[in-house]
Amino acid sequence: MTATQPIEAASAVDAIEPDRGHPVIRMTGVSKSFAGVHALTDVSVEFFAGEVHAILGENGAGKSTLMNIISGVLQPDRGAIAFDGRDVTPLSPDSSADLGVAISYQHPAILEDLSVLENLQVALPTQVFAVGDTRGIARRMLDEVGLHVPLQARAGSLPVAQKHLLELAKALAVNPRVLILDEPTASLDQDATNMLFSQVRRLVAEGTSVIYITHRLAELRQIGDRVTVLRDGRMAGRAMVDAVGDEDLLSMIVGRSLESAFPLKLDDPAPEINFTVSGLSGRKFKDVSFEVGRGQIIGVAGVEGNGQADLMRALAGLQSITGEVQLNGHAIGASALKSHAAYMPSDRHTEGVAKDLTVRENATFAALEKFSLRGVMRRPRELAKVNEVFRELAVKTAGLEAKILSLSGGNQQKVVMARALLSEPGFIVADEPTQGVDVGARSEIYRILREVSRSGTPVVVNSSDAAELEGLCDVVIVMSRGRVVETLRGDDITEARIVGAAVQADTHAHHVEEARRHHASFGERVKHFVQTDNATVGPLVVVAVALALYVFGQNENFLSAFNVSNILILATALGFIALGQTVALLMGGIDLSVGPLAGFLVVIASFFVNDGQPALTIAAGFALMLAAALVVGLINGSLIRFANFTPIAATLAMFIGLQGLSFVLRDGPDGFINFGVIETLTWRLGPIPVAFIVLVVLAIAAEFTLRKRRPGWRLRAVGSNEDNARRVGVRTNLTFIAGYVACSLLTALGAIMLMAQIGVGDPAQGVNYTLASITAVVLGGTSLLGGRGTFIGTVMGALLLTMVLNAVSFLGLTQTYQYMFQGALILAAALIYSTVRRKAEA
Amino acid sequence: MAQTDTQFETRGPRQAIHQIPLAKGFVTIVGSTVALIVLCLIFAPSAVSTGALVGSLPFAAVLAIVGLGQMLVVQQGGFDLSVPGGVSLAVVIATHMPSGNDADLLGAVLFAFGCAIAAGVINGLLVGVYRLNAIIATIGMNALLFGGVFAISRGVPRTTTDLLAEIAGGRTFGINHSVFIALAILVLVSFVMKKTVVGRRFEAIGANPLAAQAVGLRVKLYQMMAYVFAQLHYCVAGILIAGITREPTAFQGNSLLLPSVAVVVLAGTSLLGGRGFPISVVIAAFFLNQLSQFALAVGVPFSAQTIIQALALVVGIGIYSINWTTLTTKLANRNPKEE
Repeated sequence: MTATQPIEAASAVDAIEPDRGHPVIRMTGVSKSFAGVHALTDVSVEFFAGEVHAILGENGAGKSTLMNIISGVLQPDRGAIAFDGRDVTPLSPDSSADLGVAISYQHPAILEDLSVLENLQVALPTQVFAVGDTRGIARRMLDEVGLHVPLQARAGSLPVAQKHLLELAKALAVNPRVLILDEPTASLDQDATNMLFSQVRRLVAEGTSVIYITHRLAELRQIGDRVTVLRDGRMAGRAMVDAVGDEDLLSMIVGRSLESAFPLKLDDPAPEINFTVSGLSGRKFKDVSFEVGRGQIIGVAGVEGNGQADLMRALAGLQSITGEVQLNGHAIGASALKSHAAYMPSDRHTEGVAKDLTVRENATFAALEKFSLRGVMRRPRELAKVNEVFRELAVKTAGLEAKILSLSGGNQQKVVMARALLSEPGFIVADEPTQGVDVGARSEIYRILREVSRSGTPVVVNSSDAAELEGLCDVVIVMSRGRVVETLRGDDITEARIVGAAVQADTHAHHVEEARRHHASFGERVKHFVQTDNATVGPLVVVAVALALYVFGQNENFLSAFNVSNILILATALGFIALGQTVALLMGGIDLSVGPLAGFLVVIASFFVNDGQPALTIAAGFALMLAAALVVGLINGSLIRFANFTPIAATLAMFIGLQGLSFVLRDGPDGFINFGVIETLTWRLGPIPVAFIVLVVLAIAAEFTLRKRRPGWRLRAVGSNEDNARRVGVRTNLTFIAGYVACSLLTALGAIMLMAQIGVGDPAQGVNYTLASITAVVLGGTSLLGGRGTFIGTVMGALLLTMVLNAVSFLGLTQTYQYMFQGALILAAALIYSTVRRKAEA
Repeated sequence: MAQTDTQFETRGPRQAIHQIPLAKGFVTIVGSTVALIVLCLIFAPSAVSTGALVGSLPFAAVLAIVGLGQMLVVQQGGFDLSVPGGVSLAVVIATHMPSGNDADLLGAVLFAFGCAIAAGVINGLLVGVYRLNAIIATIGMNALLFGGVFAISRGVPRTTTDLLAEIAGGRTFGINHSVFIALAILVLVSFVMKKTVVGRRFEAIGANPLAAQAVGLRVKLYQMMAYVFAQLHYCVAGILIAGITREPTAFQGNSLLLPSVAVVVLAGTSLLGGRGFPISVVIAAFFLNQLSQFALAVGVPFSAQTIIQALALVVGIGIYSINWTTLTTKLANRNPKEE
């Protein structure tokens, strides 16, 4: 998509623009490229207060890049952005928001593990909720967009349309000076769209500048005042909406000069039909039917996100479907599709190539059995076949053993095609086959698809590039909102007809009627409760009480004051460390080093906190413990965030290192801990140790922070979805590092209790707390995927685990049972929690 | 964009065979090992004397075998914390069941393999089918295995049978049998991984499970089998330990968990899954073992050795991580697809 010339004719329309005074935002000569591909070239545009400025253009025209530059997510390579005449480059998401820019993303920046209310709270500035009742304010924000869902509902449980409404609510809530709406109606029904339009009109009347990105001309007519058209990252024209006709707009959108040569199409007007799809329905598409004749290529067109991608996956057997697919007159069942289809995915990097493997391995991994004898690879045969197909496809590579990523995008795509051909498929499903492919390689790919089709293998191509479909296909179906809205054949296949059918279709979303339905039934409320992070506390209390009563029935000493306080003291050390582990898991990480850290800190203490030491030395010992923990947390966090270690790798290295340090400081148990300090730490009120009460209070405070305070929302936001967290303005690196520091400091508290427990600096102690803490946290109900967890549950988990281990000896059982119970407990908890969650969300 | 302008040419399949590039991990670990041996020769010749090697190589061999097992799991993006349980269970089965009687050894060994397969299948089901996090599933399994260890041993060590001591602890041509066994397993793993359909699919699934799914490979089954074969490796290692050590304890496996991960990482396998490097894993096991020997010989106290291991691990991961970063940045930038 390079070197196309903008059409100058459009500038004639400029002359009739009324003067709107000073623009709110003026972008001058903005350019942005990604690794040599120009996404935006020299774009200058002005946005005025009190009007809706629509941005039109095909997929890949540069619209989203432009928006991301205004919202500060991307920085331009060249050019300047002025706000009220003041140069504000470079912008960051923070500074852009401070200037009053609000954006509603096409893919909502929603944090799925947080509740609806928390999504509003983490994304919006504090002052929005400053005056009055928080829930009332949030309720009003949602009412504005007609979203009637419980505030405590988990955002991930909302249907797509409701997520879009929530995204809009966030953008509207701040009374923005500049509101950017990126394809806001893509999944909204008619009522919701009307609501949105009336909101937009109200804001415009109040003087907001609205930037409205869309594909649909009909919407432009309803809401737009001014329009700018982008094509291939350049300005293709601008106009006042009521002064320009649809024809003119279409010619600005399309009409890009084609540089790729297309192979000749099939000249047989009525070929023998070899591939039929009838009444196919699946996720995001409905009732799709088409036929392919021998030698024909069928194209699937439409604005991105209207069900085409799902149709392609379904044809490849990767999604469940209803309807019928026939190949050469034989019906293929839904489960057999997979073995007949060769699927070329659109996202080459996630689903197409395995970046670790060589060019040869990438080409052959779908068809290995064809080059083998009794399961053993026959290398000469493999090489011969790969050489043959690479020659046919003209793959340019430094060698068969080159890394796949050393190839250009086009050649990577040819390797994916080679894989498809080597598996000798019944038909080929090519999703966006030329995405990220340079011009030269494109015509090669067209030629190959044509040859495959001519040899009798049906080819289905999905492309958001209408010009490509015009050049390549014999039949094109145009999809909108999951349905086929037009089938074009022969000379009717023109870019203008395809784009026209896609952007003028007025089919409304059928699958999102539930968008604004009210949920309040009892069943729904139970469902919401089961989904809350603290739902595990109840069952855990029941299990703990039942266990206590059972063991008490067998041996009444179990509930004696001595044993109760013994259990609680043990649970306190584990509890603090497990609280730290909970922080790490909430961020989607893990900290394997907590155990050795606790042991190491006790060893440090054993040099200072001794009998006969002055109070100052003892205080210094405690300070040193906390300081060491701080340093360990900083190192863990920095290795993970700045040196790209996985959390496991970083904290594993820390694990080994700390263990070594402990042994360096002490080669055996030595340095007895001050008796008075131990007395104080284990001081009890009746049978309840004060330290345990401190643990419970701390857990409740942490839980409160997690639910009701910004640091808590941020912690869960980064664990839930780091990218979206960044987009709503969370400083992710800072949050992660602070999280690992918090984890280490909580471990230090655990180490203080551990010190009181063992009473001596023993380098071999503490290590087991790593696994025990993970067990306790999982028992408590925190998810290892991040974003969801509970501090109170963790304390319950630590208590239950300690009780189980203690009960074993009271029941007169051997060590065998201690291990068996521990293992069974964690597996049962993990299985139950994951099953319940899956059911609740289904 | 066109970094590779050379038109692909076919001069027959032979040419390509010589193009197999040396993996970065292999070069790194071999370089480090050679450097270490040179250091030993200069500063601590006793660490590379025949006597020292005969004494320490069996432990390197055991670590190599455990590392190969861990590698299979890591290749599938998993993580196996049930190494200690698996190894210890094999140790106590091999010592307690025959209880000094050579005739019962074969039965015990077969029983140990049976247990290993059962443990592996459960791990695989929990991770592959029930989608539990690998860490949780294997922590739980580890505890269950230790339950088995205590059920069999009651926590008391027992002496190895003479036959097992001869098989596992003996020497032929002056080289420990355990070394031969480790090398045999290495050859087997390398052959299956690089030369068979199953092994090639295994690597492809580890390298990109989504792409493998898209072409219809049975991703879950292969992910499951990784855990089964890993347990079989731990089992062999446990039986070897039972033969090498006179009175092995029930906690023999504990000290192998972290080194098993360390050798896999040092060998260049990404913890995110992907290609495995069996030969490098075995060399890394030798390297770590020799590092301890070297440290011991130059008078570093035993305690400080783990610090050296940790530093070696950080440097090792650092080398690969930073490479990995630039790769992904490039990747992200090259993809012009808009959000």
